[in-house]
Amino acid sequence: MSAARHPSETDLALFAGGETSHLQNFLLDKHLRVCRDCQTKVTEYRALRDGLIDSEIPCVNWNLLAPEMRANIRVGLEAGACVRTSRATLSGSPGLAEWVQSWARAVNPRAVVGAATLALIAASAFYMRDARTRTADASRFDSNSAPVVQTTSSGPKLQDGDASLMLLNRSDAVNETVSARGDIRARVIEAGTVTITSVSLQ
Amino acid sequence: MLALACGVVVCTQRGNAQDKPLDPSSSVKIDLPADAPLSLISTTMGDSRATSRGGAIVLDLHMGLTLRNSGFKHIRGVTLLITAQEFAPGGKGSVARPSIDVPPGENFTLPIDIRLVRPVRESSGPLVRVQLDGVLFDDLSFFGPNKLSSQRALTFWEVEAQRDRAYLKQALQARGENGLRQEIVASIARQGDRQQLDVSLTRNGRATGVAVAATDHVEQFAFLNLPGAPVQPLEGWAAISGNEARSPQIEIVNNSSKPVKYVEIGWLVKDKQGRDYLAGSVPGSETTMLLPSGQRTKLQQDTALKFSRAGRPVEIDSMTAYVSQVEFADGRVWVPSRHDLDSSPLLRIAAPSPEEQRLADIYSKQGLAALIAELKRY
Repeated sequence: MSAARHPSETDLALFAGGETSHLQNFLLDKHLRVCRDCQTKVTEYRALRDGLIDSEIPCVNWNLLAPEMRANIRVGLEAGACVRTSRATLSGSPGLAEWVQSWARAVNPRAVVGAATLALIAASAFYMRDARTRTADASRFDSNSAPVVQTTSSGPKLQDGDASLMLLNRSDAVNETVSARGDIRARVIEAGTVTITSVSLQ
Repeated sequence: MLALACGVVVCTQRGNAQDKPLDPSSSVKIDLPADAPLSLISTTMGDSRATSRGGAIVLDLHMGLTLRNSGFKHIRGVTLLITAQEFAPGGKGSVARPSIDVPPGENFTLPIDIRLVRPVRESSGPLVRVQLDGVLFDDLSFFGPNKLSSQRALTFWEVEAQRDRAYLKQALQARGENGLRQEIVASIARQGDRQQLDVSLTRNGRATGVAVAATDHVEQFAFLNLPGAPVQPLEGWAAISGNEARSPQIEIVNNSSKPVKYVEIGWLVKDKQGRDYLAGSVPGSETTMLLPSGQRTKLQQDTALKFSRAGRPVEIDSMTAYVSQVEFADGRVWVPSRHDLDSSPLLRIAAPSPEEQRLADIYSKQGLAALIAELKRY
């Protein structure tokens, strides 16, 4: 992979997250040693990923998750109750107990533990995926969660809830124009020249 | 991505702020291509500062770049891309200087006054990259990577500037100094009278700000058809809720004989008291549009704009759209003529060109003689 032929953005993002195969890893690593542009992109992806990991945790909507967690606990308790009932039934019914004991002897205990572990991982993954999806959906409809750029008398401002950052702090910005694409342009006129500063939501 | 921005912006509000001046040699990297028609002469950092707050660095840039026209043509405009981080709002911006006339071998200074944020944990190296995005010459040829579509923006500004300079020169020629004075005084008066809105803009959802309780409805655009426009708006609408307009869509037809590759629609709103404002613009797609002669297409943007004035919501009563910019496939551009502007409410409502504002400023600060001298330079 030469420096002139860059890997795709997707591959760089996967590499930054440590999610490439050994072969891809080797090839990308080789390219990155000689390509500063791609190194920069990988660094930015890592920073972005780290930022997302840090910033998404407080965004989890625990109120939405609470009923599901309660339901899981209830299912667990009910499952425990079922097991206790079965044991009680087994102890009172020798025919069935013998059948279960013979089945247990036939099945490899390691396989049972392995299958249970896999099932637990799959359930956890599903649970976490679901939580993420609902968090994203919740933020989509929560008017306070999306960043906003806005015009002000001192220039464009980035606003997020109560937090804000002036992107151009010039009281002499004479004009601000807004494009529905997501850009704001502010003009400053001084010493017979006009300077146009643009900021974007993207 | 948005979450990162949230984190960054929130971080700017709290945490242990550490403020330090920026060192130009280590903090800023200025990239000009080797074959660029510009060379960097010097950099001043002014009182540029980096403030570390929580997980973010806020970069308050007040730089000045002195550049030399090292090419063979007069430069009419320059755009620089300023990047602190790529992937979140507040991480990058651009600075453009239109309406200049820099002959070969001459220097000019470009100020960079912008505030950007970046995560503390980003890699070592410069905090900010300044890159050339484009240079426009007096023959409307262009040099640069054009990542920000600077060619189009600089060309539109230059064509508007030529239009407005020609109009003022014609006033001087036909009606003498008094005629020119009347025109420029009228321009200053319009700029003073023009009602400006504060606009909040967000993507894929609702803008925040002062809320007005109202039911969503779809409002149709009325159209201001300019006689010389090569593209005509046919129908359009946006979802309205009080002082918020969302997801504008406008269908247009190419009435010219040439294919069109870019269209921008100006967006006017009228409030319940009957006052008109320029709300913004609805641009076409940057990359996918190529509209053959006689064909139709739809311009749409998935954004929400919320309007206020002096902290109070401005409820939308009606909306009007007009074609404000057209770029043909051959790179030529169309903007409304002075006659189009004069014979419609646009001269009063729409923003004046950067050149008209610059010339009005020269007249205000230096007088009529300076304005005449400036007009004669071009």
